[in-house]
Amino acid sequence: MKAFSNVNPKDLKDAASQLQQASKKGQAATIVGGGSDVLGMVKERLVTPDVLVNLKSIRGLDKVTEQRGEIVIGGLITLDALSRDPVISKNYNVLAEAAGHVGTPQIRNAGTLAGNVCQRPWCWYFRNGFPCYKNGGKTCFSITGENEFHAIFGGGPSFIVHPSDTAPALVALDAKFRIVGSSGERTIAAADFFQLPTDNPARENVLASDEILAEIRLPAAKNNTRGTYTKIMDREAWTHAVISVAAVMEMDGQVCKSARVVLGGVAPIPWRVPKVEALLTGKRITPELAAQAGAAAIEGARPLGKNQYKVPLTQAVVKQTLMALGA
Amino acid sequence: MTPLKTVGHGTHRIDALQRVTGGAKYTGDIHLPGMLYARVLRSPHPHARIRKIDVSKAMALPGVKAILTSENCDVTWGSGDQLNQRRLFNNPVRFAGDPVASIAAIDRHVAEDAMHLIDVDYEVLPFLTDVEEAMKPGAVAIHEGGNLSLNNQRQPQPQVYKRGNVADGLKAADRVFEDNFTSAHHNNAQLEMRVSIAEWKGDKLTVHAATQGIANCRTDIARDLKIPVDNVRVISEYMGGGFGNKNQCQDSDLMAAMLSKQSGAPVKLEFTRKEDFVAVHGRWSSRQSYKVGVKNDGTLTAIQLTALTGAGAYRKSSCDLSGTEIYQVPNLETTVSPVYTNTAVAANYRAPAYPQGVFGIESLMDDVAYALKMDPMEFRLKNMTRKFRDQTAYTSIGLEECIRKGAATFDWKKRWNPTPGSGAGPVKRGAGMAMGMFGSGLGRSSAVVRLDGQGQYYLHVGVTDCGTAAKTTMGLIAAEELGIPLEKVKVVWGDTDTCPYSVGESGSRTTVQTGMAVIEAVRDLKKQIAEKGAPKGNEVLTAMATTNPQQLQGESRNSFAAHFAEVEVNIETGHVIVTKFVSAHDSGRVVNPLTAQSQVQGGAIQGIGMALHEELLYDKRSGLPLNAGYYGARIMTHLDAPSVDVVWVETDEPYGPFGAKTLGEPTIIPTVAAVANAIYNAIGRRVKSLPITRDKILGVLA
Repeated sequence: MKAFSNVNPKDLKDAASQLQQASKKGQAATIVGGGSDVLGMVKERLVTPDVLVNLKSIRGLDKVTEQRGEIVIGGLITLDALSRDPVISKNYNVLAEAAGHVGTPQIRNAGTLAGNVCQRPWCWYFRNGFPCYKNGGKTCFSITGENEFHAIFGGGPSFIVHPSDTAPALVALDAKFRIVGSSGERTIAAADFFQLPTDNPARENVLASDEILAEIRLPAAKNNTRGTYTKIMDREAWTHAVISVAAVMEMDGQVCKSARVVLGGVAPIPWRVPKVEALLTGKRITPELAAQAGAAAIEGARPLGKNQYKVPLTQAVVKQTLMALGA
Repeated sequence: MTPLKTVGHGTHRIDALQRVTGGAKYTGDIHLPGMLYARVLRSPHPHARIRKIDVSKAMALPGVKAILTSENCDVTWGSGDQLNQRRLFNNPVRFAGDPVASIAAIDRHVAEDAMHLIDVDYEVLPFLTDVEEAMKPGAVAIHEGGNLSLNNQRQPQPQVYKRGNVADGLKAADRVFEDNFTSAHHNNAQLEMRVSIAEWKGDKLTVHAATQGIANCRTDIARDLKIPVDNVRVISEYMGGGFGNKNQCQDSDLMAAMLSKQSGAPVKLEFTRKEDFVAVHGRWSSRQSYKVGVKNDGTLTAIQLTALTGAGAYRKSSCDLSGTEIYQVPNLETTVSPVYTNTAVAANYRAPAYPQGVFGIESLMDDVAYALKMDPMEFRLKNMTRKFRDQTAYTSIGLEECIRKGAATFDWKKRWNPTPGSGAGPVKRGAGMAMGMFGSGLGRSSAVVRLDGQGQYYLHVGVTDCGTAAKTTMGLIAAEELGIPLEKVKVVWGDTDTCPYSVGESGSRTTVQTGMAVIEAVRDLKKQIAEKGAPKGNEVLTAMATTNPQQLQGESRNSFAAHFAEVEVNIETGHVIVTKFVSAHDSGRVVNPLTAQSQVQGGAIQGIGMALHEELLYDKRSGLPLNAGYYGARIMTHLDAPSVDVVWVETDEPYGPFGAKTLGEPTIIPTVAAVANAIYNAIGRRVKSLPITRDKILGVLA
């Protein structure tokens, strides 16, 4: 790795201003939460920061609290703590399940929620330092290359898939993200946080260089809401989703009152499927309806040369997930 | 078989406590005063000629003490290529990862920074990643003489084995089956990465190596550095696995020695995980084409195999394919062509030529059995080998019993589905089995045993224990022959200064070869005790043995195995889970059932990974590897591993220490084919290329 300095900000404002100062001095700064991924990238020289801004020095940002009906989750909560939190497990279990599926116990003990949401892609071209869009280049090597794990929706000019397990769950829960910058803060919908490559092929989200994802807010839990997260993995641990489905349904007896269904591992952002949601609304979840929803989920899919299998896979997993949730 | 007192009883490893408490000092744990740290600069191109290397900026970086390149270091790495075509630093470079320079500095960070300051002017050359492309006329030649490597007669011709006449055999058949199978290059992926520490004192060199054989490592280093063997000491007291990629000496040993010589300080060179995947070696890939002739009653009349194997950029091992010998067949012809490409080198990985070859032949034999409406197990019982290559009697053979006992433990009749793919789904269940065998020759090795006046026995054996529990095995054999408990034997290992030659922990031969030397040394000691009485006070008795057994005439010594797998395949998601696995093994008498069971289980788990997950994938346009490392290779985790039931078939074997035969490598040989056959049995479609990944399963089902 390249030599760097480390700063321990005392609060978020301080952290954001450290980022801004570094930028002013022409230095590259990198935010470190749990460090489970970013430190590996520093070692591999995929990022070569002059300054590491260590958020772990900020206190109190690792809790789940209730504020005016909303649930507020500090961005520094570990994935393990999140997956075991009683409030999250009870009322937002799609998120608890997603957090519990990340990586390995070691990664979940170190890795944070905000870090998981902001994780860089695991495309092997990017991770091997190919000069692709994500590494500051002007091409995506997957298009005519080894694209088994690449996007079937929303791709172009980059065809990465968003690697986060928690991100689809947060979009499905209609979470809001509180972002703190050096000149103020803003709160945006989870769905608006993630950015398609057509907007900026080098990045996956809207964070500016001096901004930090500080907190995640979940709307008050409604009665009769259920959710689940299905992750398809090529081994039983320590791998990203080949594809995943985060589904949340508000039920009225046996009838689905409203639904949010978001796919992971299929697109450069968590991929919401409104057509599936509309199909479910106001209906009983029968095997036939689940099968229709699976078919609707893959409408418009545009596979590359080697990821055709993801299309029937997505169809089947949407169907299976909805059947499990509706049962 | 007569039960013995010590041998045959499950015994914990004698170094287990050190290993699990952190007390064991592995090579990577060793720090010498004033030690420098080294890094290797590797080619970013799959094939390039180096016009010029400028190290001046790197050398000027404070803390940099030595830099080696092809311009100042002309050392041939003998064990890196059987044809002596490989230097420590090659020009041209022939694969992405071929070493270009090695730097020693006061710490790793300085060494790494220096790496980035070396200017290399490359003339990029056309490259090949595919063996079939490499064999086409006009393909760029990776070595002089072309891309077909040499056969055993050192001719640029395929390796051919024939018996009978295949054309006649195919003519005599009622039915002929033809099919093609492929297997991928995948890495040994042992836990411990390559690490070497070298230190010179005058003209004496000590290398702390991570090796499967200290004696071979020592003679290789002496040969390659052109120094007397006596001047080299190799120490490897605890090592963290190799599965065949730490046989002999490593380029890291030689680089550390040369850097140490240039800098005048001890040097530690440790590879990263990525380097260990790309720049060491893995199992060779294969493209196999078979023709099989069979009578309607299931009798085989001919087997023909034509294959290309992927040697990678250099010829480090045989690159052969084995597996057809598990069948009795009058007419056989195998033609195997090892081919160079500009990819990672392929060489020994646990039963190097077997699991991929057995995958091919056992997949096809499964199809033959189904086509003839025979139970695949009955088909194998009918056609399994009875004599080695149908000619030479086996010293002992428990293959039929492996199949029968394994099938009983597995409950084959209940689990096997006579109509493949007939399950209701979406989760379908199926069962498959396959056979395997492996040579268990006897050969030269040495041991020293000593008894002092206090009644303490010392056993000196040049083993390092690459995970096989060799230290314990040697102790058990000595204790058995001495008629004393294991605790009374102090085993001395892992240092060429204190241990005699041992054959090296490759070819699954330590138990059978060094074990025999232990027995002979102990017999000599017992004779001395009988003649002179036990030593008293300061007295000592020493005995040594170097075995040099005659090759067996008219007999072949082999180990045998049959594996049984049950899988569940979700036909909508392509997800495979191995739900039951039984490994039945004839390795003669089992010296230590506890550690032997671990070996068998480990082999099966590794084989399941080979069947379902592992492949070193290359980007075709750039010739660069994409998924090197534990994450990308999808190595098996504990959650992926089924429990593996182990069945022993202890044949009454006349040779070997207490009748023991080879075990370590056979444990992976039938696994891959058993899993593949189980998947076929579950879904009724066959995936003919390894690894059997989700996309391929969904592909054959589509």
